[in-house]
Amino acid sequence: MSDKSTIKLNGREYDFAPGETVLDVAARHDIYIPTLCHDPRLDAVGACRTCLVEIDGWRRLAPACATQLEPGMEIASENERIDRHRQTLLSLYMTDHPTDPAAAEPGAPNELHAMASHYEAPMDWGYMESLRDARPDDRNPYVLFEPDLCILCARCTRYCDEIEGVNAITLAGRASETTISTVDKLSLMDTSCELCGGCIDVCPTGAMGKKMPLVRGDKPERELDKVRTTCNFCGVGCQLDLNVDRDARDGQGRIVKVTSPPVGTTTNDGNLCVKGRFAYDFVHHEDRITTPLIRGEDGELHPASWDEALQAAASGLLAVKDKHGKDSLGFVSSSRCTMEENFLVQKMSRAVFGTNNVHQCAAT
Amino acid sequence: MSEDRRHEIQELLEKAGGLVPGAARQVAQQTGIPEADVYGVGSFYHLLARPDAKIRVCTGLSCRMAGADDVLRAAELNDLPVEGCTCLAGCDVAPAVLRDRRVLPSVTVEDVHEAKGEWENLRSAANADDEVWFGAVGPERDDPDTLVLNLMGDPDWSGTAFRRAVEIGADAVVEAIETAGLQGRGGAGFPAHIKWNGTRNQAETTRYVVLNADEGEPGTFKDREVMLRRPDRVLEGLAIAAHAIGATEVYLYLRGEFEVPWTVIEDGIERFAAAGVFGDIKFHLHAGHGAYICGEETALLEALEGKRGMPRLKPPFPVEKGLWGKPTLIHNVETIACVPAIVDRGGDWFKALGRDEAGTKLYCISGDVGRPGTYELPLGVTLDELVEAAGGYVGELKAFSPGGASSGFLPASMREVPLAFRSLGGVGSMLGSAGVVVLNSDADLRDAVMTQLRFFEAESCGQCAPCRIGTRYLAHALSKNIANDTTSGAALQHVADAAWQMNEGSICGLGQAAPLPLTLALEHFPEEFEA
Ligand SMILES: Cc1cc2nc3c(=O)[nH]c(=O)nc-3n(C[C@H](O)[C@H](O)[C@H](O)COP(=O)(O)O)c2cc1C
Ligand code: SF4
Ligand code: SF4
Ligand code: SF4
Ligand code: FES
Repeated sequence: MSDKSTIKLNGREYDFAPGETVLDVAARHDIYIPTLCHDPRLDAVGACRTCLVEIDGWRRLAPACATQLEPGMEIASENERIDRHRQTLLSLYMTDHPTDPAAAEPGAPNELHAMASHYEAPMDWGYMESLRDARPDDRNPYVLFEPDLCILCARCTRYCDEIEGVNAITLAGRASETTISTVDKLSLMDTSCELCGGCIDVCPTGAMGKKMPLVRGDKPERELDKVRTTCNFCGVGCQLDLNVDRDARDGQGRIVKVTSPPVGTTTNDGNLCVKGRFAYDFVHHEDRITTPLIRGEDGELHPASWDEALQAAASGLLAVKDKHGKDSLGFVSSSRCTMEENFLVQKMSRAVFGTNNVHQCAAT
Repeated sequence: MSEDRRHEIQELLEKAGGLVPGAARQVAQQTGIPEADVYGVGSFYHLLARPDAKIRVCTGLSCRMAGADDVLRAAELNDLPVEGCTCLAGCDVAPAVLRDRRVLPSVTVEDVHEAKGEWENLRSAANADDEVWFGAVGPERDDPDTLVLNLMGDPDWSGTAFRRAVEIGADAVVEAIETAGLQGRGGAGFPAHIKWNGTRNQAETTRYVVLNADEGEPGTFKDREVMLRRPDRVLEGLAIAAHAIGATEVYLYLRGEFEVPWTVIEDGIERFAAAGVFGDIKFHLHAGHGAYICGEETALLEALEGKRGMPRLKPPFPVEKGLWGKPTLIHNVETIACVPAIVDRGGDWFKALGRDEAGTKLYCISGDVGRPGTYELPLGVTLDELVEAAGGYVGELKAFSPGGASSGFLPASMREVPLAFRSLGGVGSMLGSAGVVVLNSDADLRDAVMTQLRFFEAESCGQCAPCRIGTRYLAHALSKNIANDTTSGAALQHVADAAWQMNEGSICGLGQAAPLPLTLALEHFPEEFEA
């Protein structure tokens, strides 16, 4: 039985489960196979061709991301043919892509550049201007498409279709004019787009990027500090990475953008919504309240400590209860609260203040 | 049949006047398919994506050799809504011009002037009544004993072969196909019986037969001629195939420019239906909308399903997962049209008609020959024999393309190589679709190569980088005069590397074969590429 579900990869034997691909098994054993169009959340399309491997008895190289394993397969992911394949493919990609690192890396790390230098692909094949259309008039505030950088991996369109279920963007045109478009090249604002920014996150080259001025400063992403945190816009509790430029604001630091944690590492699996991904500007806003405030006898608000503030709230609430009875109180919790916080609010309402007047604003 | 209405997208967009602003949104509402998807589909197909061009002049090699550039210029000067386009499967009636969706044969500059600036008025003097037209064929005789397709024979609507197929049963039919040694005539020469068995042996019982009538390989027009002259054979062959593999639904995919063959096939379907010969077998006609790549079988399936015509990864092959994921038998028009005669007269009869390989073959010949047209000859004739049948050489033979743009160019010294699948494969070329183009000593080979490279560049589906970027890269390299480049050694090496990459890395045959016109020409005609 056991020999029925093993394959050989680069001469070594590995087990696999039905439905697994070459890439699945390679990844499990830390065997690096380059990919550009692959995303474990999406159906494989095998279009970028970087992951081709050699399978004994197959005339043609096969995409590791899309080739399901069959018992007894003998696969090579490293040999002369594959080396030449990777180098010539990457050289060809670079004839159609900005070679200047500054132009090629407007923020997000450029996976194509990294791969081309990793495999030492010759960069002297010449350069051809891109023929891909942009949508320069798209007035949406967040998503910017820079066609020169696009390698047509279709991660963005598949993400929008398969994960968001929104289908706002599509591959359009064909041949070297193939590009990413919306219906009739409309602004994302005039389509079903929810501005989740997932297309930006999945893009391997930064072709789908964030619009200024949300991205403050010119530092490439890899020079920023990533701080993992929990989005506090709603109770789902998505994990996100604040990208902090530590030198900004005279060394006080500044959040420059939000990125998704790597796929497979958090419960939200890298997915975020428009608020989590784009609404971080308030963090550094000058009007933002950063300490509790208590209204004094003078009618003005005065900064206070948390202990003082909680004390003031508790005594105020108890005073109302004493004077008007327990059911004169009511508690409404925010939809930004987590389930645990909501539990505590109702506990406080019922056990501490003795009233069933408790509600959560998202519960209808 | 699929439940959703995605497969109607192209047709509805055509009815909406093409991809004009608002059309995608309207079709999205009609079908319930997301509007971006509809737009993406429409933008893939030239006839939908550029609805303003009402006249399209073929800029394929044979048409350019026959003066297409002049016709195009005249049309532009006459302010016709015109653009150039890739091969219209009218290389024997060059220059071919598309008026809306109708191919006009042998259009002259005078014809263009006669239209007086109104595109609807464009007529070909060679087809003054604007009705169904035919190309030249040979041998010019009705000879069912030695000709399988027998293009000069009268259509036979009796359904005799189909009845015989039912009588002897599916096993015997497939056996006859195997004995015949019938190879696919769409380009690859794959043994037909393997696909028939592959389909009928699937556990899944919903199966389809699909006719590939997207004929777009430059230099090829035989399928057009078969449909025009022997629609009976095409439909009867399909019905026999459906019966043999246990299918009742047959899909016919005709390229959008085949308005004329469409009417002939449609008539044929009605004729057979009226006579009730094929039982519960149903024919569904589908039009293409301007995309050469949809001749690739899996791109064709995508197109039928209402998607962008981007080839699928193989495996799985269509025999296992084809149309809507069901086992599907896809054949070229000529392949399927061979079937009734094989069933009638037996596999041995068919096999013996060939020379190097089994059967007769339709050779399309155009370029510098006396009588361009479709010739049914033993599979494996030489170029000289073919050209003799086609009225002889015009001028002195310099080079020939043996099987469409994808086969590249061979030198006159290879005129003895049998025009067959194996022998041409052996010299690094291919028989492909047997679209033979003859170039005489007046021809500018660089220009001919450039025409082919531009063709592939324009017709790449754009899905995979080796092809999308590589086709363009090679055309760029040639336009910069490879051999004369100051860094000539390096430039040639880059071309060789790019060609290697396209062949190794591309998903489908388009990208894999696209470098051949250049690499074969560099090999056989190096002097043409010096300054
Ligand atoms: C780029 C490309 C274009 C093709 N175009 C056609 C075509 O126009 N007509 C056709 O019959 N086959 C075409 N083919 C071949 C088909 O993929 C397929 O092999 C054929 O339809 C199978 O039928 P057959 O076995 O009868 O040849 C093309 C293949 C490629 C790679
Ligand atoms: S922002 Fe989200 S919804 Fe909008 S196009 Fe991108 S992935 Fe689709
Ligand atoms: S925009 Fe980015 S994710 Fe989308 S196809 Fe282009 S490179 Fe891929
Ligand atoms: S080889 Fe060319 S035509 Fe074929 S899938 Fe790739 S891009 Fe498309
Ligand atoms: S019809 Fe013009 S080259 Fe084929």
